[in-house]
Amino acid sequence: MDKVNVLIIEDTPAESNRLIKVLEANNYNVVAVATTFKDGLNFFYNQLIDIIIIDIFLNGNADGISFAETISLNPNGSKPFVFLTSSTDRKIFERAKLTQPFSYLMKPFNELEILYALEMALEKFYEQPDTFLGDQENTVVSKDYLFIKKGKSLKKVQLSQIIFIEVEEKYCNIITEKEKFVILISLTKILKLLDQSVFSRTHRNYIVNTAKIVEIVPADNLIVLSGNHKALLSDTYKSILKTIPTLK
Amino acid sequence: MKFHKKSFYKIKLCIVVIFFCNQLIAQKQEKLDAFSIAIKEKLDLNKSSSFFYKAGMFFLNKEWDSVLVYTARHRNLDKNQNKLKDYNHYLRGYSFKQKLLLKEAKKEYKTISSNFKFSNLVTFRLAQVALEENKFEVAISYLNSIINLPDSQYIYLNKGDVLQNLGVCYLHLKAFDKAEPYLLDFMHYQEKAKDTLGIIAAYGNLANFYYEQYKDNLAIPYFEKAYLLSKSTNDFKKRNNASLNMAVVEENRKDFKKALQYRKEYEKWHDSLNDQNKIYEVAKLEKLFAVKQKQKEVSLLKIENKAKIIERNGLLYSALTLLILLGVTFYFYNEKIKSNKIIMAQKEGLDELNATKDKLFSIISHDLRSSVNALKSSNTKLLDNLEEKNLEALDGLLQNNSAIVNSAYSLLDNLLHWALLQTKQSYFEIEALRLFFIVEQMAYNYKPLMLDKSIDFNNKVLKKDIVLVDQESLKIILRNLLDNAIKFSKPNGKIKIYTTYTTDNFCDLVIEDSGLGMSKNTQNSLLENTIIVSKKENKDIIGTGLGLQLCKSLIQKNNGKLAIESELGKGTKMIVSLPKTTLNG
Repeated sequence: MDKVNVLIIEDTPAESNRLIKVLEANNYNVVAVATTFKDGLNFFYNQLIDIIIIDIFLNGNADGISFAETISLNPNGSKPFVFLTSSTDRKIFERAKLTQPFSYLMKPFNELEILYALEMALEKFYEQPDTFLGDQENTVVSKDYLFIKKGKSLKKVQLSQIIFIEVEEKYCNIITEKEKFVILISLTKILKLLDQSVFSRTHRNYIVNTAKIVEIVPADNLIVLSGNHKALLSDTYKSILKTIPTLK
Repeated sequence: MKFHKKSFYKIKLCIVVIFFCNQLIAQKQEKLDAFSIAIKEKLDLNKSSSFFYKAGMFFLNKEWDSVLVYTARHRNLDKNQNKLKDYNHYLRGYSFKQKLLLKEAKKEYKTISSNFKFSNLVTFRLAQVALEENKFEVAISYLNSIINLPDSQYIYLNKGDVLQNLGVCYLHLKAFDKAEPYLLDFMHYQEKAKDTLGIIAAYGNLANFYYEQYKDNLAIPYFEKAYLLSKSTNDFKKRNNASLNMAVVEENRKDFKKALQYRKEYEKWHDSLNDQNKIYEVAKLEKLFAVKQKQKEVSLLKIENKAKIIERNGLLYSALTLLILLGVTFYFYNEKIKSNKIIMAQKEGLDELNATKDKLFSIISHDLRSSVNALKSSNTKLLDNLEEKNLEALDGLLQNNSAIVNSAYSLLDNLLHWALLQTKQSYFEIEALRLFFIVEQMAYNYKPLMLDKSIDFNNKVLKKDIVLVDQESLKIILRNLLDNAIKFSKPNGKIKIYTTYTTDNFCDLVIEDSGLGMSKNTQNSLLENTIIVSKKENKDIIGTGLGLQLCKSLIQKNNGKLAIESELGKGTKMIVSLPKTTLNG
């Protein structure tokens, strides 16, 4: 599991330092702190960023909103973001609200409020509400990552590193090359959110990353995966053989 | 003598014609009444055919031209109604006769069918026309056809007329032997009818008849009789004629004295006739004048009337205008009074508010001043201790400072939010929120304080408790209620936050402390809608009441309710009822 990469756009060092302190204490990775709109864009396009904290007012202008507007222009390239503001001025909020999805954090804030705001921003951005906050689930699925709530903090796992997923009632065992852990998510939801061309269901309880398949042994109903992991293949899902021609 | 007689004859003829004409007019007038009643009845039955009805009405009014016009229209209009057709022809014939268009009259009369109700009358009319045309034989043949009818047929026709006309016809034809019986019959008929004018005419006829034959002995008594009778009438023409006849008679008898007398009488009657005509004319003129005068008066009255109406209308309008003006004035006056009242009420309200604001202002400044003052003195101590390197005391002093600053900050924060709420400048959006996390976040700020006071805090709100509120409002509410709970808690007290569901659609968030509690009075005054500054109960803990007031306003804005359950010495429950989502109930 990796740390979540955060970009901070904030022109007041005292504020950004406080943010860095809180975030790092909660296992977030602060990639950079930008103090201007331009810097912010630079970092955003050149670094791997998972989430951005944007101060609405940069040097007295509402550049923070402009930044959000700019990155939202390309929906595929956009990332979740949280506005940071010290005023509840309605006009500013009305404008900020237009950059959907809209999450904000009011100054002064405490640790819990920051973490809550980040989680909300992720949920809203990936349109999977009530994931981190409810009792039932703890994982948000994006195009490339699983964002998993661990304690007060968030972690992420790259989807391409997952070898297979073993489902156990409400839990899913995620097996990557390096580690093995349990997440809370329903099978139907994860199946819906994962890329069907990469992940295939092979059994009532197994979802396999087809890129990691080493060998399929139909006789034993077995799929051998990289790292010598084995997954089951049931008759119902044998059609998978046709869709993976390269591994005959 | 013979020559003399001849000229005399002419005079006599002239007399006869005059008599005859008079006779006719008299007869007509009398007989028309019987006929016109019949016509009237007929008209009443035929009101629907308007042309005929009009023609009939004009006929009765003797407006012959109009009769001709309408009968012509009627004739063009409907050619099928036989009965009315005969009436129509009769009316036309009669009117033509009156206009002396004899040929047309004859034609009209002749087209009337033989079974017409008044066919005898028609025959008589034809005879009259023939007489007018001097076709005496024709007239006689017509008259003969009706002379011997039984009396029942003479309803619309005077037998006397027939007799007279026959006599006159024969007279004209000089068939004296045939004329005599008719004229005598006529005389007897008139004597029987006791028609003075008729009798005079009959005597005149007979006298002329005899005189024509130079039977002066027979003629003269009739002349005299006629003369005597005429004296008893008012008819100047008759008297005139009778006198003239007598004068001629006496002249012929060479009794010039008498002749002169009669002549004078004749002239007198002639004059009076003229006079009467003049009188008539004068009367007519007078009448015309009077009519004109009346017309003038009438027009004057009309003008006066008009003037009066205009005056009256003017009065009416001005009265109306005045009334409206009065109404409008009254209305505006009323409005003014009303608005004045409102203004007064508003002024009172504003004064009150202003007073409260001033009070609030003074208390806040006092609070801030004492906070800053405490900070100042604390800082001096801090510096002193720093110089003495008394590090243990430093920690306590800093803690103290931080507490002072925190409370001052929350006061200022409340003040800011209060102002924002009043001006409605704040962002406000109701959304579904999980209560648990907001409570956690707010409690987080008070953790050190509670630890300091050894207060046992417990957030028992469930993760599934979802309410519909504006996040910032909820945070302010929780901050204030927690602040109060801590403020009024004794060391080692307990604060518990949990939810209950007592009413549909609402989630009750309870902040319960085991602190000082408050009396019913305080509770009620806190729930009232004004900022009440209470310092009495807890002298060392000063509150403006602003925080709770802000909470109440915000709860209201979020469609919630605030309730207080408290007991002095035991603790307080602040109960915030917030709308919940229907989902996840």
